[in-house]
Amino acid sequence: MPAASERRILARAAVAVVPLLLISLYPLQKRIENLIAGTRIQSDELLFTSGKALKNMSLGYSSLLADIYWTRAVQYFGGHLSRQDDRVQELAPLLDVTTTLDPQLIVAYRFGGIFLAEERPVGVGRPDLGVRLLQKGIAANPANWHLRYDLGLIYYWNVKDYKMAAQSFWDAGNITGAPEWLKQFAASVAAKGVSRQMSEMMWAEAYQSASDPRLKDNALLHLSALKTQDDLDKLREISAAFRQRFGRPPVSGEELYRAQLVTVVPKDPAGYTYLFDPDGEPHVDPASPEAAQVRQESSREK
Amino acid sequence: MNSVPYFVALNTFRESVRDRVLYNLIFFALVMMGAAVLVGQISLGIENEVIINLGLTAISLFGLVMAIFIGVGLVYKEIERRTLYSILAKPVHRWQFLAGKYFGLLLTLAVNTALMTAGLFLALLYVKHSIAASDVHVLIAVYFILLQLALVTVLAIFFSCFSTPMLSTLFTLGIYVAGVFASDIRDMGALTNNTALILITRATYYLLPNFSNFNVIAATAHGDPIPLTLVGQNTAYAAIYIAAVLLAASAVFSNRNLK
Repeated sequence: MPAASERRILARAAVAVVPLLLISLYPLQKRIENLIAGTRIQSDELLFTSGKALKNMSLGYSSLLADIYWTRAVQYFGGHLSRQDDRVQELAPLLDVTTTLDPQLIVAYRFGGIFLAEERPVGVGRPDLGVRLLQKGIAANPANWHLRYDLGLIYYWNVKDYKMAAQSFWDAGNITGAPEWLKQFAASVAAKGVSRQMSEMMWAEAYQSASDPRLKDNALLHLSALKTQDDLDKLREISAAFRQRFGRPPVSGEELYRAQLVTVVPKDPAGYTYLFDPDGEPHVDPASPEAAQVRQESSREK
Repeated sequence: MNSVPYFVALNTFRESVRDRVLYNLIFFALVMMGAAVLVGQISLGIENEVIINLGLTAISLFGLVMAIFIGVGLVYKEIERRTLYSILAKPVHRWQFLAGKYFGLLLTLAVNTALMTAGLFLALLYVKHSIAASDVHVLIAVYFILLQLALVTVLAIFFSCFSTPMLSTLFTLGIYVAGVFASDIRDMGALTNNTALILITRATYYLLPNFSNFNVIAATAHGDPIPLTLVGQNTAYAAIYIAAVLLAASAVFSNRNLK
């Protein structure tokens, strides 16, 4: 076969066949993925659980390695949390390695502290691990008041140790650059313990100071549940006023509106109309995304 | 005509042996002997796992270094020494020469891997004083490593068809690293919520050789079974990918101006 025609044939074959071969890999790769996902072949276990050893092996590139580990931690958390499996527990060692590689990676402490402590399904449900991670962050970054504030938040919200929470807020307030109100805040927590007003202030501050969108979303979730609780308290008062005027409890929000006791039909932050028990007690529609969060928040106040 | 790639392959293998490429086995033997003696003395309780992990990792790393550094020089060396011209003056097609070179290096890697596997089993025998039936999974892991090396070799040869050895090394290493982290690239895209980026990272994921498909070292060390279906699927995956890249390499090399 002449060389020129051989070249042409090969070039044409390559142009036609190579894309087809590569496309045919798509269903095959899908099958391999499914097969591997159904076995223990590639577990997510950490290759290195010792951040110190990894730091020594990183040849001076530990901060880059920390960024890679941090990215993995976020992916790992999102993946396993959405599947609700137990391996989400491995988030703690991942974050420990990340913060050993780069002790100044503040976002890892803040993200890790809050989500390790938060109850399932939002977090891992291990406030002890959250506290430990934040204490490690405070030891490495003593001038950062946000870490002490987050530690106080976990003590207040998840551990319910108001003495330790007040101490953490006080310590945060003592750091140069921290807001003035932190010390007053610490005093209020020490005196009153849990209160909704303080909870709202705490989560509003957590929302303001968070740089990570997931932390902001988490704070919004709490704020929205707290607002729902405020709404329910107000509706209880309005329901009592309705009963006084008509001699029976209201059956719906529309009835309160028709009686001109409210200016609009009352709805929760997710847009669901509040419901009323036969005895006039208002509650969140069970179909509303607010329902589960409100249950958690109200059990905290009891 | 069909025997041409066979002779080129055999010659490539002989040349590798003459170049003392297989001397790396001495280093491997020393590593395995040292590890076996050390692990036996320390008695960690995971001697088996340590030997399998270390052995398979060493086989993979030694093979990778050979596949890349020899692969990128196979064609270039023949052009530099001008031996290619005398070969092509005979009734040898360029694609036959390329296929022969590829399979010759693959034979070298297979022999090298087989000898290292024998060394690994000897170390296991020294540590455990017996070889169990479950240790056959080590052979599947070795087979997967060989498939991985076959993929890396074809990439090295592809790049060497139009580039210098230095650049070909960089390209091959780059594709290898990207292939190892292919699923991370896809997952990072998914985290962005940007449709274009999600599509690009997904396409990249499916286009890159997915080397993590072949990584069963940890599972083998823990004694977890490797499904035979995966052996078949990984073989098909590697065969199709190699065919595609080898065809592209043949087209590039046949159209290259060698004057």
